[in-house]
Amino acid sequence: MNAGMKTAANTALNSTAVRAAASARSNRDASAAWAFLAPTLLLVAVFMLGPVLFALFASTQKMDLIGGHSQWAGTKNLQYLLDDHKFWAACRNTLRYVLFVVPLQTVLALALACVLNGRVKFKRGFVTLLFLPTLTSSAAMTMIFMWLFNNNGLVTQFIQAHFGITIRFLSDPAWALPVIMLMNVFSTTPHFMIVFLAGLQNVPRNLYEAMELDGAGALARHWFISVPQLAPITFYVVTMGLIGCFQVFDQAFIMSGGDGGPEDSTLTFTLLIYHFAFKTYNTMGLACMLAVVLTIIIVCATSLLNRLVKSEGHNA
Amino acid sequence: MTLAAWQVLPAEKNALQQAIASFTRSTGLTVKLEIIADKYMDVMRSRFAGRITPDVFYLDSHEAPILIRSGVLLPLDAYIGVPNDFYPQFLDAFRGADQQVYGLPKDYSTLALYINTGLLQKAGFSLADVPVDQGSLMDFARRLQAKLPRGVAAMILEKDLARHLAAIESYGQAVIDARGDARLVGNAGALTYLEAFVRGRKGGYVLSPKDDLGADSPGAAFGAGKTVMMMEGNWVLSALRQDYPEVRFVTREMPRINARANTMAFVVGYAVPRFAKNPQGGIRFAQFMTREAMKDWSRGSGTLPSRSGVQAELAATQDAALAAHIAGARYATVWSRGTSLPVLNTNFGNQFQAALNGSIPVAEALRRAQQASNREIERQR
Repeated sequence: MNAGMKTAANTALNSTAVRAAASARSNRDASAAWAFLAPTLLLVAVFMLGPVLFALFASTQKMDLIGGHSQWAGTKNLQYLLDDHKFWAACRNTLRYVLFVVPLQTVLALALACVLNGRVKFKRGFVTLLFLPTLTSSAAMTMIFMWLFNNNGLVTQFIQAHFGITIRFLSDPAWALPVIMLMNVFSTTPHFMIVFLAGLQNVPRNLYEAMELDGAGALARHWFISVPQLAPITFYVVTMGLIGCFQVFDQAFIMSGGDGGPEDSTLTFTLLIYHFAFKTYNTMGLACMLAVVLTIIIVCATSLLNRLVKSEGHNA
Repeated sequence: MTLAAWQVLPAEKNALQQAIASFTRSTGLTVKLEIIADKYMDVMRSRFAGRITPDVFYLDSHEAPILIRSGVLLPLDAYIGVPNDFYPQFLDAFRGADQQVYGLPKDYSTLALYINTGLLQKAGFSLADVPVDQGSLMDFARRLQAKLPRGVAAMILEKDLARHLAAIESYGQAVIDARGDARLVGNAGALTYLEAFVRGRKGGYVLSPKDDLGADSPGAAFGAGKTVMMMEGNWVLSALRQDYPEVRFVTREMPRINARANTMAFVVGYAVPRFAKNPQGGIRFAQFMTREAMKDWSRGSGTLPSRSGVQAELAATQDAALAAHIAGARYATVWSRGTSLPVLNTNFGNQFQAALNGSIPVAEALRRAQQASNREIERQR
């Protein structure tokens, strides 16, 4: 064996050893990584993936959760659902809800954020005050709104005294949902306002300065710089608002005592799921089918939104 | 062993704790009392689904059929005891399709007519002027309203089917037929009965305690002097006596309908889950509470005993205002009609509210409630 060959063999040997050591280390790293991930993965598997899979299975069953009986129902649950006028009532209510609440809360949040982003005295004080509704529990807020809008409530009496009309806000189907919408706007707007405010503070100053030099007024600067620069934030706000609207439950639940009245006017998707799951006999499968349908609707609505609002923003 | 119960009034809780203590003295079994603060049945249903049940628990008569039909309760026929002096319709409320009894009634409430005598006199009427049948009573309410100050209603009304079931059925047509389908249409008497309320609300003499008067409950509206008459259960009595001691009132049996006495009864029983860890202990407790301890329980808690024998023993010491409620036990309709009732209840409430608002006629409300209910009942099969 000559020296050259020896060196080559050594090198080969060395490199195998290095590779083996490296692979051992990466194995060790991987198992350490798995060990660190395990608690979370376990939680996700038990409390998220498991229930999701179970719901998918249950949506094809006729299921009595209490007795633990179930039988194959195939797509019958879906047929029942499409045949059910309450499902369509929930669709109508949710659509009205989305069309009213999402634009209003987005525009309001943006407007408030822009005002607060300017030179305002007591800015922190205003932010704190405006943020309070978001911190209030929705149950407490619902109770307060019910006090304001019941037939002896402040708002009702004010309207009665000054305009001479009596509106039964809580028992009139035309008004019950708008009251909940108003409450939702009131409580979620501040949160989105903070999000917009954070976004506004990231918009480069020089853009405004350049446009100011060009002689543009405040409104033009807002419309041509702030709004497009905030597009990714707007996308986030609209998406979260949309999902929030589809999932509205507690306000409608408390306001109607759980039954979605008057005349199904406050019946939302989630309230209907609750009815199927806990109120009626043998309809757990229907509840799960509705949950699946709701998921599909949210996915569709969000991807549609994704196309309408470009999430990358203008200066990407 | 464990006992699950819903949130009860302080008097009832004390009585329950005393009963538990005497149960432990006589049997040596210790009882863990678990109070479920809110949405009792939702919690219980999820416990049944998870098979983590108490050994014995409170069960409302109208929730019983779903649990019985799901087959998760133990039959308790063997533990009814002798003599069987339970009011028969109360025991029937816990009977399954197999005729076995799955709950032992512990106590009950019935509706009665409460009249604020102070307000009545101020309006220039006496108790003798208050008619005893429903039709004339509504007419009286209209005349009474004209003499009342602003903000005081002649009568208040809850829209739920639980209040009106007995009245509707007193015309001979059951709201749930033998097949389990809802039947509200074709009951002319019931239509007239419900229409009178709609007219009453329109005329401002029959109001809703929550929507029109802004009160938390009918009892609160009555106590605050916002109404002269209300139809309520005996559960309001202790609050009226304690919180509104200055209000003078009398109770009367519910107005007659179709010339028949009628009222609703709400019965609560003890039931034992099939998956209980200690079912024998649960059964023993249910038996003890409905047999040996019923007299002490009723006296301590102020509830009405579900056995006529115990009632006879207690009669002398009971609040006079309870007499009208107790009289109702003999003819009361129990709020329980199989697994179809919760469905019908929701739809009736929803549609009758629409009728009360004047947006649809009562006949149309009943038609819609029946149609929607039957579609949903079909799904439960």
